[in-house]
Amino acid sequence: MKIIVAGGTFEAEYIIKMFHKKDNQLVVINNSKEEAELILKRERVAVYVGDPWRNYVLEEAHAEDADVFIALCERDCDNFASCLLAKKCFGAKKCICVVNNPTNVDLYKTLGIDSVISSTYLLGQSVKTESSVEELMKTLSLENNKIVIVEAVILSKYKIAGKKLMNIAFPKYAAISCIYRAGQVVIPNGQVDIRTRDKLLIACAPEDQNKVMAFIEQEK
Amino acid sequence: MRNKILVIGCGRLGAAIANESFTKGDNVLVMDADKGSFDRLSDVFSGYTITADATDVNALEDAGIDNVRTVVITTGNDNVNLFLAHVCDRIYHVPHVYVRFDDPDKGVLVKGYNIIPIYPFQLTHDKFLALRNQEDKK
Repeated sequence: MKIIVAGGTFEAEYIIKMFHKKDNQLVVINNSKEEAELILKRERVAVYVGDPWRNYVLEEAHAEDADVFIALCERDCDNFASCLLAKKCFGAKKCICVVNNPTNVDLYKTLGIDSVISSTYLLGQSVKTESSVEELMKTLSLENNKIVIVEAVILSKYKIAGKKLMNIAFPKYAAISCIYRAGQVVIPNGQVDIRTRDKLLIACAPEDQNKVMAFIEQEK
Repeated sequence: MRNKILVIGCGRLGAAIANESFTKGDNVLVMDADKGSFDRLSDVFSGYTITADATDVNALEDAGIDNVRTVVITTGNDNVNLFLAHVCDRIYHVPHVYVRFDDPDKGVLVKGYNIIPIYPFQLTHDKFLALRNQEDKK
C-alpha cells in the first residue's frame, strides 16, 4: 500500500510506526524542519520538508497514486486543501482528513473528502453510544452510516435466551456476525445456542436497527 | 431575496471592494476575524461589519449567507479562501463567488465549479508583459 502522511507531530509518528512495514510504501511530508528531523531520527523514514497543500511539494515528494493520503496538519483548512489536491491532481484513492472543529466532519465529507476525523466528534459519538439503551445495546456505524453493527447483551428474560439459532426466526434483514461469550468469540451456526450474558454483534442497515433491537428484546 | 454582497477578509483589497460596493449602493457585509481590520473601511461606510472566523460555517449562516448574491473572498490565506469558495458555491449555492489566490496552482482545485478565481500574480505578470511589449514597440 502506498501511504502518504502529510503534516502532524506525535500523531504522524504514531501512524508511521504503525505502517512502516515491508509491504507499505510510506511517503512522509512535513512542513516543519524540526519535526522532519525528529521523524527521521526516531522512525528512520525519509521526510520531505514542505507544505503538503502545494502542488510542487506533492510532485517532488512523488506523492502520486497513493492508496491512502492522511492529512494531519494543525489547521483544518490546510488539511482540506491538501486532501483536495491529493485527490484531484495526484490520484489519491482515499483521503483521510483530521479536523479540530467537529462541525467540519459532515461538511468536509459533503465536499468530497472520503474520511474526516475529529477527536471531539468521536467523543460525542462515544458518549451518545455509551448512554443509549441502558448500556445493553450499543451501535457502531460503518461506511458513512450505511451499515450499523448492533451490540446486544442477552438477558435471561429475553425470549431468545437458551434457544438454538436454528429455532429462532431471526429477521432476514439482519445477521448475527459473531457472539462474544465469556472472553471467547463464537462464530454462529444453526447449532449454536444463545445464552444469557452473550454479547451478539449484529450487522444491519441503520433503518432496521430499531426493529432488530425490538426483536432481541422480546420477553418470554 | 439574494441581494447582498459579502466580502470575507477586510485587508486592503477586501476593504477597497467593500467601500466601492457601498458607494455604488450595494447592501454590503464585511467579515473579518480581526476587529481592527475594519479601520480600513472609509469613514462613510455604513454597511455591516461582522467580527467572526469565516471558516466556522455557523458564522456564515449567522451572516445570512442564504441571502448573499455575491461573495468576494480575500483573506490572506489561500487554503482558507479555497475552503470558503467551495462552501459558498457547493453548500450555500451563492450565485457569484469570487476568490483571490496568491498561488496560481490553486486554480485547478476550483475548476468545474461556479467559482471565479483571481490571481494577483497573474495580473501583475500579464501587466508587466503588456508594458514591456509597449516599450519594445517604441
